[in-house]
Amino acid sequence: MQFLKRFITVAAVASLALASAGCGDDGGDSAGSGPVTLRYSWWGNADRAALMQKAIDLFQTKNPNIKITPSFQEYEAYWQKMATETAGNNAPDVFQMDFSYLREYADRNALYDLKKQEGDALKLDDLLEGLKGAGEVKGGLYGVPVGGNTWGYMYNPAAFAQAGVPEPKPGWTWNDYRTTVAKITQATKGKVYGGGNYVGSYYNLELQLRQEGGLLYTEDGKLGFDKARLAKFFSEGKALADAKAVLPIEKSVQIKPQHALELDLIAGEIGWDNFMARYAASTKAQLKLGPVPSDNPNSSGQYLKPAMLLSVSKKTKHAEAAAKLISFMINDPEVGKIFGANRGLPATNAQRAAVQLEGPLATVAAYEEGLKEQLTKAPPAPPKGAGTLEQAFIRIAEELQYGRISVDEAVNQFFTEVEETLES
Amino acid sequence: MTTITSTQRSEVGSTGPAGPRKRARRSGDGVAGYLFLSPWIIGILLLTLGPMVTSLYLSFTDYDLFDSPEWVGLDNYQRMFEDARWLKSVRVTALYVVLSVPVKLACALAVAMLLNNERRGRAFYRAAFYGPSLIGASVSLAIVWKAMFSDDAVIDRLLRAIGVNTGGWAGNPDFSLLMLVLLAAWQLGAPMVIFLAGLKQVPRELYEAAEVDGAGPWRRFRSVTLPMISPVIFFNLLLETINAFQVFTSAYIVGGPNGQPAGTTLFYTIYLFDRGFGDYRMGYASAMAWMLLAGVGLVTLVLFRTARGWVYYSGDKR
Repeated sequence: MQFLKRFITVAAVASLALASAGCGDDGGDSAGSGPVTLRYSWWGNADRAALMQKAIDLFQTKNPNIKITPSFQEYEAYWQKMATETAGNNAPDVFQMDFSYLREYADRNALYDLKKQEGDALKLDDLLEGLKGAGEVKGGLYGVPVGGNTWGYMYNPAAFAQAGVPEPKPGWTWNDYRTTVAKITQATKGKVYGGGNYVGSYYNLELQLRQEGGLLYTEDGKLGFDKARLAKFFSEGKALADAKAVLPIEKSVQIKPQHALELDLIAGEIGWDNFMARYAASTKAQLKLGPVPSDNPNSSGQYLKPAMLLSVSKKTKHAEAAAKLISFMINDPEVGKIFGANRGLPATNAQRAAVQLEGPLATVAAYEEGLKEQLTKAPPAPPKGAGTLEQAFIRIAEELQYGRISVDEAVNQFFTEVEETLES
Repeated sequence: MTTITSTQRSEVGSTGPAGPRKRARRSGDGVAGYLFLSPWIIGILLLTLGPMVTSLYLSFTDYDLFDSPEWVGLDNYQRMFEDARWLKSVRVTALYVVLSVPVKLACALAVAMLLNNERRGRAFYRAAFYGPSLIGASVSLAIVWKAMFSDDAVIDRLLRAIGVNTGGWAGNPDFSLLMLVLLAAWQLGAPMVIFLAGLKQVPRELYEAAEVDGAGPWRRFRSVTLPMISPVIFFNLLLETINAFQVFTSAYIVGGPNGQPAGTTLFYTIYLFDRGFGDYRMGYASAMAWMLLAGVGLVTLVLFRTARGWVYYSGDKR
């Protein structure tokens, strides 16, 4: 049995070695078969991929010299892959970009300045007023938005009626919001909660800050609020959780990746209005969009956020073809028809006109039209590390709702993250 | 399992006839031997050793995947001990190892002993118990597991039927880790098969002799079975411990990159992955990987030391 002893030693060492080798992901090169081949990556699911393929086919018919090699991932995995590919000098020619990562990539010289193609291959005149210049960082143009959306209040009027609570009216305050939510929860005895805990979203803090005339991040990439302000926000959330007025965190964690509105667990939620289409697809309730609460009668703090920008890699050898593809994706009315609500409301007037508005999409369009006068300027592109900070915020807010940390601990934890992330 | 048999076979081969051995000593055949080994050598150089050396270098740098790495010395290693989330991930992982390994091994041994008896349909039962291990690392399994342990799902209802009201485990910080321990215990196939093989090796005469001496089933288990299969227990203990330190897939599905709920499933590997690919702190993540290697190495060493006291190799003279 001596060999068994030796064998155990060898096997143990071998498993250890495997542990440290870790895992790797190689992107895989695309073989060029046509005159020009572009690699194009985006995040999304199979539904979007089917639509994307239609749009790509159309592009290839109109531009027989350009061949597109598409690939897609889920949002989180997508950014892991993009980072790895960019580091390996293997980034796709054209790829979908989120506002919170724009400066991260632009600052690190990973993106091509699209100003060089503007006017010729890339036509931007038709972009909605609020979205013009949205992809600019320090004078360069590093992304073009495909859509735009607004932070809004989505709710189920039937749940309000059932609880005997009047629907929200313009001018309602955050205090009104909290009492409304508590009333609905109470009236239905928790069968339907008034809403989720708004402390869980970074954008609700941004909304409050904008209503006060502030910003999440300043123009030069510093944090736009202090510890006391964050403590106030966290205290509001903790009070809601303690009073059991909102959907318990245990519940919202369990139902992921679904949302409570899809399962009729809550009466309403503040969130991006383009999610209306997704929620409406799963619930029978007729959802409506209403005004967001604000303590400032003169400002709702809302803005048109550039959604799903398209960027070009600095390393691309086919900048002109890449610009053509972007131009096609944002301007061509046919593409607008193909995607409908899938990417949120289109960013150009031509595509907005082309989309057949019905159901939830019509609601969103009408909502944004009604807000037109109210929408204020979009914030500057957030500093690099913003994506990490948002993740930290979500994590810390969750522990707060579980009652595992106090408001002060939560505030301190977040500011530790800020120091670590924004300094570098 | 295949590794065991192939090692055994080669072991048998080398103690066999002296003919092939002599020939292998001639220098020309040595080259041929290395040529035959070359796929493996190239593989280990490029796919294991290369990345390992790179990650060792990166662990001393500040590297964000975009800019070139910047040498920072031991900074990454020092920071770990001030990093509250790192400490938390160490605690979670240690707790998981301490809970899941004994539970899994006990279950595996119990099932192996049941299946060791001659009875009808034995092959079917073995396959049935091995089944979950075949789909072990699969994503779908973790998803189903999470669904089973949600509010008002199967487990919640069963528990309520017997008067225990815990709610769903998936969203409850007090139970989320236990849920993953049970998932690990359920996938007991691999250690079970090894235990089965070990049980078959125990000489029948020993049991017969013990029975003649009036030993009951418990006594026979304690005094015959356990010492005789102690090398196999040790082997399983080592492998399962090392594996438990590296749990990832199931935890990632259940808890995501933040170790939900409330960070109770923030395993070391999850945090490592999140630091590297979520926060783009590849230098720190590399340092974490080497700390993991050192930690698991240390635990393994300690296990080997203690093994001298309780593992009995029948060939040994003591």
